[in-house]
Amino acid sequence: MSIDTHSHHDAHADGGHHEPPEVVDGRQRMSIWLFIGGDALTLAALVFTYLYLRGVNTSGHWMSMLGYPGPQLPGGHSWAFYDANVFNGSNPAAPTTIVTGPLSSGLNWLGTVVTAISAGLIWSAERALRVAKNKSAFTMLAALGTIVAFVAILISFHQLSLIPQIYSIHNDSAVMAFTAYGSSMMIIIGAAIVHLMLLVFLGLGLTLRSARGAINVENWYQSRLVRMFWVWVAISAVATSALTTTINTIH
Amino acid sequence: MTTTLEHKAPVIKHEGGGLARHQNFLTAMIGGIAGAFIAWAIAHHLLDQNVRTTSDAVAVLTGCGWIVGFWFGIGALNAPFAWLVGKDQTRKDQLYYAGEDQGTKRYWKYCTDHKVVGVQYIVMTMVLLGAGGILAMAIRTELIVPGNHFVNQQVYNGFIAVHGMLMILALIVAVAGPWGNFVVPIMCGAKDMAFPRLNALSLWTLVAAAGLLLTTLAVGSLTMGWVVLAPITDQAGVGMDFFALAILVFTVSTTVAGVNTICTVFTMRTKGMTLERLPIMVWGAIIAAALGLYAFPYFSLVEALQILDRTFSTSFFVGTGGGTGWLQANLFWLMGHPEVYVILIPAVAALFEISAVMARKPVFSYRTAIAGMVGLAGLSILVWAHHMFTTGWAPTLGGPFMVTTELISIPTGLFFLVLIGTLWRGNIWMKLPTVWMFGFIANFIIAGITGIYLSDIPIDNQLHGTMFVTAHFHYVFVGSVLFGAIAALAFWYPKVTGRFLDEKLGRIAFWLAFIGVQVTFMSMFVSGLRGMPRRYSSYSFIFEHTNFITTIGAYMIMAGMLVLGGAVIYCWNHGEPSGSNPWHANSLEWLVSTPPPLENFDVLPVITEDPYNFGKELVRS
Repeated sequence: MSIDTHSHHDAHADGGHHEPPEVVDGRQRMSIWLFIGGDALTLAALVFTYLYLRGVNTSGHWMSMLGYPGPQLPGGHSWAFYDANVFNGSNPAAPTTIVTGPLSSGLNWLGTVVTAISAGLIWSAERALRVAKNKSAFTMLAALGTIVAFVAILISFHQLSLIPQIYSIHNDSAVMAFTAYGSSMMIIIGAAIVHLMLLVFLGLGLTLRSARGAINVENWYQSRLVRMFWVWVAISAVATSALTTTINTIH
Repeated sequence: MTTTLEHKAPVIKHEGGGLARHQNFLTAMIGGIAGAFIAWAIAHHLLDQNVRTTSDAVAVLTGCGWIVGFWFGIGALNAPFAWLVGKDQTRKDQLYYAGEDQGTKRYWKYCTDHKVVGVQYIVMTMVLLGAGGILAMAIRTELIVPGNHFVNQQVYNGFIAVHGMLMILALIVAVAGPWGNFVVPIMCGAKDMAFPRLNALSLWTLVAAAGLLLTTLAVGSLTMGWVVLAPITDQAGVGMDFFALAILVFTVSTTVAGVNTICTVFTMRTKGMTLERLPIMVWGAIIAAALGLYAFPYFSLVEALQILDRTFSTSFFVGTGGGTGWLQANLFWLMGHPEVYVILIPAVAALFEISAVMARKPVFSYRTAIAGMVGLAGLSILVWAHHMFTTGWAPTLGGPFMVTTELISIPTGLFFLVLIGTLWRGNIWMKLPTVWMFGFIANFIIAGITGIYLSDIPIDNQLHGTMFVTAHFHYVFVGSVLFGAIAALAFWYPKVTGRFLDEKLGRIAFWLAFIGVQVTFMSMFVSGLRGMPRRYSSYSFIFEHTNFITTIGAYMIMAGMLVLGGAVIYCWNHGEPSGSNPWHANSLEWLVSTPPPLENFDVLPVITEDPYNFGKELVRS
């Protein structure tokens, strides 16, 4: 390979590694886009999982055990399903089939809207720093966005606690289980919680760094990177809410 | 003009590093063990012991404790928490993390220098292949005669699962890890990877995952093979929890590494290094990285779902709750087949590079080579269901998937075209890398042709689940990828160490391994054609002779690898000195001093020609 040995910039003249912010910004933006791309594929796999399980459960088991008391097992044992609300650990009088409904759409969308509001606050914070050069507004909005994201985590945990579950009796011992719907909701809400926890970490970092002067109007690009990922999390929340509130009924 | 840039790095005394000064592999191990113990104690105390899934939940939390403790002990969490509190690293800190003036100690630390990470990957790959190889020898010893009781059946199942996964992990990083880190940034004219800390994170996360995976051997009860088949995973013990968590963590490592590689190539190339002037190895690295970014989310999700089924009683793969094993099979093979090409493409790209240098010719049809790799990557995401022909899933899709699978032979054929075209009428230099390259070509033909047979539904219906399949993919992974990885090692070894890999020992290793591969896997093909099933620890007497031959061949391969491993270790300090550019190559990694200095270039070069413009005036040493 033929080369000239001319330096095409002399930023390393002091032995340092001082690249211009716009160069670092471009590289980091590309990395964020790639991480978002990988995350989008994970979301696609989650959607595939949800739709696949719903598609194969054409005769029960998607959302409840309605009308399906379970197979007979060798030795006279059998599976039977009991309503989690009436089963208290003692020997129930008789097996009952369970009728459960989908999770509350309102609560689902509430979590999504709260996530979107937090994204909007971070977006505003980034604009306050980049356009208005207002660092104190940035700090305040970033802190607010972080708090709102934390509220979204609490809502998501509340949703987790509401996922319909069943107890089954297997050889006289109680086994808690989730149906295909409950399982799908658990992974979707669980993934949302993981993302929101990451957002809270990033938001907390923006706030603390701004308060300590590590973020200022000159290096605003860090906040844009966080904003990009934050907005993506909000978009994925909308997508999963749209999916799980429109395609969720019993066959 | 061809120029060697000699390093004249200033000696800088510094006090940076902070906590990292006290962190290394030993503290990582201590941190990991302490983290695992603390997590186990908390989980054991808090979780109800009467619930069926508690032991699995305790295992998963213990594994998480190991990972977090390991990360803390090695120093991976220093920078994120320093960032959180607004305390950015100083230049002195960066130099400390880069390992400046630390000698061999830096190889045991969370070092951000891409060349150190490359060497760490070499060692890691050898350790993983060694561990997987020992398990392979145990498996073959069990199968040397029918009804042998070298290990009991439960242990045998565990060996099968861990051998498979260890080898897959090792081969995923065998070329992309060492050389994607050591040479690719220099080839691009970059001072380092785009994100040096993430680079170290990907390496040490792999180490943590491998530790977890090896622990499963001690925990045991692995009934499910390396593909982690559901619903048989429900029968597996807590070793399965570690196994799934290890894979989940590994996907974090590969995702981070993939993003880093792509960003490095696209944003850190030096001036004049246009995409058409990129060494072909760089193309292989980014195509494999992009394919990994597509494939590994499925891998992480399928393992996450396995963990949830076992710890939270969800029903993704459990039929009684509405789940299905087909979901696991789909998600796994959506990853599984692209993963084969994540493994293969970097090895093939390295051979393109080697063939051009050793034949003193440009890569034959450079664009065809890129098209072949892109085509292979693209088609690989459309073939996953051929692994499920006999499962009963979507029979009507069998035909289309058979066609897409057979189409893969076209870009694969382009690989042969480019390799043979580059070597054709070249003035071939038969050195150690070339010898292993020819071994690859011979073995890959067999691997490819037998793959076409298996893509055909009627034949697959007969051969699925037999040793024929095992022989086929071992021709891919051992006969092809491993040979390619060893060719790459022999080629770039002088750049890492300043010494040649011993030619005589390398050739002894080659012939042992090459003959061993034919003996092992040809006889395995015969066993498969006669109907011997995979994964069984005992078998009928009608398979006795072929299994005996297979085991002898496997011992030959192991002997070859021991000779090679010995040569790698011995030559590191005692090999024949090679100088900076022993192959008279033109790409940038050969034009810097050996070993390359920290940050590679004192002055960034400006590229004016492609790297394959070999002139006749070059004289071989």
